[in-house]
Amino acid sequence: MKSFLIKCMFGAMALGVLLIGNTVKAEDWETTGLTDKAIKVGVMGPFTGNASSYSKTQIGLMAYFKHINDQGGIHGRKFEMFPEDTACAPAKGIAAAKKLVHQDKVFYLHGNSCSAVAMAVKPTVSPTGIPWIIAHAVNPKITMPVNEKKSIYHGVPAGPAYGSTMGEFVMSKPGAKRIAMITHTNDWAKAYCDPAIKVIKATGGEIVLEQALERGQTDATAQVLKLKGAKPDFILGCLYEAETVIFLRDAKKYGLRIPVMGTAGTDLENTLERLGDKDAVKDYYVLHAFVDKVDGPKMKKWNDIILKYNPDETITGFSAVSMASGVAAVKALQNVGPDLTRSKFIAELDKIKGLSTGILACDITWSATDRHGCKKSAVAGFVDGNPTVLSSWGKPW
Amino acid sequence: MDIFLQLTLSGLSQGAIFALIALSLTVVYRATTIVNFGHGDFVMAGAFFVYVLVIYVELPYVFAAISAVLIMLGMGLGVSRGFIDPIKAGPHIGFAMMSISLGYVLRGGARFLWGREVFPMPRVFDIEPFFIGNLVVTGDVLFISAIVAVFLLIFFFIFYRTTTGVIIQAVYQSERGATLIGVNVRAFHQSMWGVGLAMGALAGILIAPISLLHPDLGATFLIRGFAAMTLGGFGSLGGAVVGGLLLGVAEQLFGFYINSSLQDITAYLIIVAVLVIRPAGLFGRTVTVRV
Repeated sequence: MKSFLIKCMFGAMALGVLLIGNTVKAEDWETTGLTDKAIKVGVMGPFTGNASSYSKTQIGLMAYFKHINDQGGIHGRKFEMFPEDTACAPAKGIAAAKKLVHQDKVFYLHGNSCSAVAMAVKPTVSPTGIPWIIAHAVNPKITMPVNEKKSIYHGVPAGPAYGSTMGEFVMSKPGAKRIAMITHTNDWAKAYCDPAIKVIKATGGEIVLEQALERGQTDATAQVLKLKGAKPDFILGCLYEAETVIFLRDAKKYGLRIPVMGTAGTDLENTLERLGDKDAVKDYYVLHAFVDKVDGPKMKKWNDIILKYNPDETITGFSAVSMASGVAAVKALQNVGPDLTRSKFIAELDKIKGLSTGILACDITWSATDRHGCKKSAVAGFVDGNPTVLSSWGKPW
Repeated sequence: MDIFLQLTLSGLSQGAIFALIALSLTVVYRATTIVNFGHGDFVMAGAFFVYVLVIYVELPYVFAAISAVLIMLGMGLGVSRGFIDPIKAGPHIGFAMMSISLGYVLRGGARFLWGREVFPMPRVFDIEPFFIGNLVVTGDVLFISAIVAVFLLIFFFIFYRTTTGVIIQAVYQSERGATLIGVNVRAFHQSMWGVGLAMGALAGILIAPISLLHPDLGATFLIRGFAAMTLGGFGSLGGAVVGGLLLGVAEQLFGFYINSSLQDITAYLIIVAVLVIRPAGLFGRTVTVRV
């Protein structure tokens, strides 16, 4: 009997230790990366390598966090940033994520350009339940379906949102019904064109001709002559920037003067610069993430923040993209109050509804079941010879 | 009919570039029996040299183009002397590995310096398109066709009508025989690498204003160069030119009359078809070995 009691006592003690240990572990997890004075944020991005121009988004995001720090931080805590290079390479991205999670022990992750890297990193980050805000990559599968720990958020338009905007814009042109396409045949192009086609068909349009123009092709004569013969009202162009330029150049050459709707893989100013011919680009419309031109008055505030902390930085179409989700994260952190935990942060992120950041052309709305925060984009095109941000055909944003 | 003529004209212009690349590959192949798998990247390098000289050094375009061709000529000599000569005693596959590696080093270097950016290449002449009936003739078509035609005339004149050409033909036919009559075959190989790379550079310089400039520019042209070589017949100089022109036109006609998705694989289809139906190509010689 005595030995039974002793066994029970030891058993109870062991159970107690285990329970206390787990509680401590859970508490640890909730507040890892937090001190009274700091919130540690892991910022992954392609700071080197052939996609390093995307890292401007992370530079913009960190400038915004520095700006918040200079205003006193959030409930006495300041952002402590841990930039980690992925070089837009999945293997390097995984190593970066492991370092941030296990070595630097950050409170949450924010950033990520390059969908392939985010998809490769997801199996490493997702099981940890650490909050992770995708601030640039567009692959919708990074965040939907919602991951098992409900911890990943998309703070920029994902592929379907962009594609739908393309379709809506095309169909907003009065009388637009016969739509033709010129597209690469890869997943990237499909991510834009498929949702666009869905919208076009749902709103009474028809696809009258599909033409392929593959990467690296240097002449679009055959495609342009085919398109000209089909007499469409609008052309969807799901092409990378080099092929967009080749197509627009040949379109002008052979007198194909039909509006063309392009993806977020190109932008108006760069396309014009590469073509060097305003006349060839005057019928080109392109997805545009922001509420204003990159150097427009509505973007000045954000560009100034970037330049304040990075005086030598050149502002491009990438610079302010991630700042919008930074605004959302700051709002959620403020709403949590001083007793910050990861669970409370996630709960507050899910409460963000219709947040107009003043940066992106979409409001951010997250919920426990929908993590695609941005559902639309603006469109940029030349109106009376001037680059203009549009919400629909002929209607300025 | 107008459409057919337009496609043919555009195809000939593209084909002229393919012809130049195929010819430059053939020059090296005929002289050394080495297929330069990195040639596309040397084409790209030539274009980038012009870009650097025009944008950063601010040389006039024509001087920059001539300088770039000369730089690539020197690079060809250097590649032959520094990287090909030392492995001559090794297996033939070593040449292929070396040329692929050198190509990737160049591509990697360009990516390191310029990222994946796509640059607009300055244009030499901005000639307005004009019409012949309904046929649109652009400045690019005229310029490329004229430059390539003049170059080919000079090249074939030297090859068939000068003493230098006779020496080249002698080495092509028998290196041992050429050595016996006092030709420095090693120096000849080096010069042919130089000429091959310089010609490739010229192709890059001509196409970059149209295709835009980026580090991966050459990859597309390499396979087209191979297809043109195959169609014309491996080792045939004239065949490389005819093969390039036919490939350019075939791409356009396939793209329009069959399916635009096929345009990009026309080169591969031609390689497969020629190797199955007529392995020697249009102008290649069938080698008979008596055993």
